[in-house]
Amino acid sequence: MRILIVEDEPDLLTSLAQALREEGYAVDTADNGEDGLFDAEGTDYDAIVLDVMLPGLDGWEILRRLRRIKKTPVLMLTARDQTRDRVKGLDIGADDYVVKPFDLEEVFARLRAIIRRGTNITTNRIEIGDVLVDTAARQVSFKDKLVELTAREYSLVEFMALHRGEVVTRTQLYEHLFDENEDSFSNLLDVHVSNVRKKLGAEFIVTRRGHGYRIA
Amino acid sequence: MKIFQSIKWRLQLWYGIILVVVLAGFGGMAYQLEHDKVFRHADNELQRRLNVLVQAVRRVGRPLPQRPPFRPQEFNPPPGPPGEIASEDIPLISAGNFHLQPRDELLFDAAATNGFYYVVMGAEGEEIARSTNAPVDRGYGYEPESTMQVNQMSAYPPLKDDRMKYDGQSLKYDAFPAGGIPGGQPFPPCQRGSFRENEILLVPNDRTHGIQIVVGRNMVADLAELRLTTVKLAGVGGIILFLGLAGGAWLVNRALRPIADISATAAKISAGDLSQRINLAGAESELGQLAAVLNSTFARLEAAFAQQKQFAADAAHELRTPVTVMLTQTQTALSRDRDAASYQQTVAACQRAAQRMRRLIESLLELARFDAGQEVLKRFPLDLSTLVADSAELVKPLADERGVKIIADVAPLEITGDAGRLAQVVTNLLTNAVQYNRPDGEVRVALESAGGLAVLTVVDTGPGIAAEDLPRVFGRFFRADGARTGAGNAGLGLAICRAIVEAHGGTIEVASPAGHGSTFIVRLPV
Repeated sequence: MRILIVEDEPDLLTSLAQALREEGYAVDTADNGEDGLFDAEGTDYDAIVLDVMLPGLDGWEILRRLRRIKKTPVLMLTARDQTRDRVKGLDIGADDYVVKPFDLEEVFARLRAIIRRGTNITTNRIEIGDVLVDTAARQVSFKDKLVELTAREYSLVEFMALHRGEVVTRTQLYEHLFDENEDSFSNLLDVHVSNVRKKLGAEFIVTRRGHGYRIA
Repeated sequence: MKIFQSIKWRLQLWYGIILVVVLAGFGGMAYQLEHDKVFRHADNELQRRLNVLVQAVRRVGRPLPQRPPFRPQEFNPPPGPPGEIASEDIPLISAGNFHLQPRDELLFDAAATNGFYYVVMGAEGEEIARSTNAPVDRGYGYEPESTMQVNQMSAYPPLKDDRMKYDGQSLKYDAFPAGGIPGGQPFPPCQRGSFRENEILLVPNDRTHGIQIVVGRNMVADLAELRLTTVKLAGVGGIILFLGLAGGAWLVNRALRPIADISATAAKISAGDLSQRINLAGAESELGQLAAVLNSTFARLEAAFAQQKQFAADAAHELRTPVTVMLTQTQTALSRDRDAASYQQTVAACQRAAQRMRRLIESLLELARFDAGQEVLKRFPLDLSTLVADSAELVKPLADERGVKIIADVAPLEITGDAGRLAQVVTNLLTNAVQYNRPDGEVRVALESAGGLAVLTVVDTGPGIAAEDLPRVFGRFFRADGARTGAGNAGLGLAICRAIVEAHGGTIEVASPAGHGSTFIVRLPV
């Protein structure tokens, strides 16, 4: 899962990015409106965390422009808790909002929710054969036994599970699992896929040669 | 008791009482006039008939005068020529020789004259003559003492010196009130039950006998009419009273309606709805003026409340971001074990956030003190030019960092003021001029004395301020770009500048011709 954070307060930006990375997300950051809009338009993020008050373009303007071309889920961060501000954000096209000051737990939960909403999955628990993915606890069990996965492996499983039945290309996987600072041309992806197959059964992820991967 | 504390009911009560008194006075007077009229008329008629009867008594045994003709209205008959009647012809009055002339009989006709009657009685109370309609169920006549009175009459002056002469010898009938009351009104009528009567006692000057004449009239019909008049007056008075009270109630209600409006509106406002206003329609009176004054007070109150609310919301809003930083930093740090460097970063970020909150709180308190008038200025003579130079020195590192040149063209100018506070103003203006400037831009500071004022001008070469923002520049939490441009800038700096300048009795204003930088002008009394 790849997320963009647009926030001009540096201390808030670094701690949010760190926390989300530790949650297993690939995180890009922007500290002003122009950069934020550029990134948001150029990459298919799974979600965007967008502050309302920004120098240059404000959050509402970014959202307005982004919505012309993309449906990326957007979580607004706002210091204004008045109803008219929240209504304005939702009307422009925000998927949810969090009022400052917030707890990280709440931001995580709302992010999970807006990402899930973009797929066909309705709950935190996804069952695929003998495999059960709990997106809230970020745990995977195989035949009722908890399986130890690295953060990146979990992200791979979660992304595939959220797109079950679809063929997911390698480019998509690179885009959603790695952030802008990582080398997307390495064979890291193959290593992760192979590790997941070892832990959850060789048939869990099917290779569609020339297209990508798919889970049933 | 509540009803008597209400102005409305007290007014009603008072003019109700006044109306009743006035109506009762007029009604009583009208009744009295009517009553007097009826009785005066009756009394006049009684008097007239009494005169006729007296004439009749005096005529007994005397030839009817040839001339002049009899005039019943006149009390005094024309004295007859003396000596025409022989003394032996003088008879005592009896039923046989007393008679009225036919014309006079008509005066006592029951059908035609509305019940006038008469009774003539002799000395012993024996009836000499009576009209047919005289009431029979009551006795007339002398009471025992009356008989005695006849002899005592000589002690009293007669009512009228009315004498008749018989054959050279004068026989005089003196008339006395029947009650024998001397010195009273002549022939006072009196009321016996429903009968109005006038009695007279005729006594000859030899005091040998007395003749009592009673003339009366049954007043039942008149009294009934008077009662009817009373009822009518009371009815009309009642109607007037009712109309007066109803009209008064209407007037009072109308006049006091604005008060009800005012109190209802004030109640809603005290319940917290400050947007309420008193309806001014149709209230041009003094109460209307009061309502207008109250409305403008309410408007100012609402504006002040709204401003206060906005200020509190803004202040809370400004505190949200540093609190968010501290929360996310600490929650992230505590989510797992970390190395010392990472904890140091967290603590440093928290410290920055706390510093920011401290600056904000200090600014807010500063403004609050100026607002409350609690800020005491330490005013001493000072040289503004050195103050400007010091401030420019202070801002220089920031200006150098941004490549902005500060050009100060100042000559010594002494004023009285709080050096620390004024330095704060100048430093703030210079910092703003540097921060909102273009790279390699300029800041020009000028100082001059004009019209008893020290005028400090700070001009920058930045992008200026949008025309629609100009009125809000000195407002609280105003920021030109709508976002946090620096951790320390909460948009209170210029608000504090204005508070300081105004506390010195000066003014601060801004001008910004589109695209040509902005100019801040501070005027301070020397």
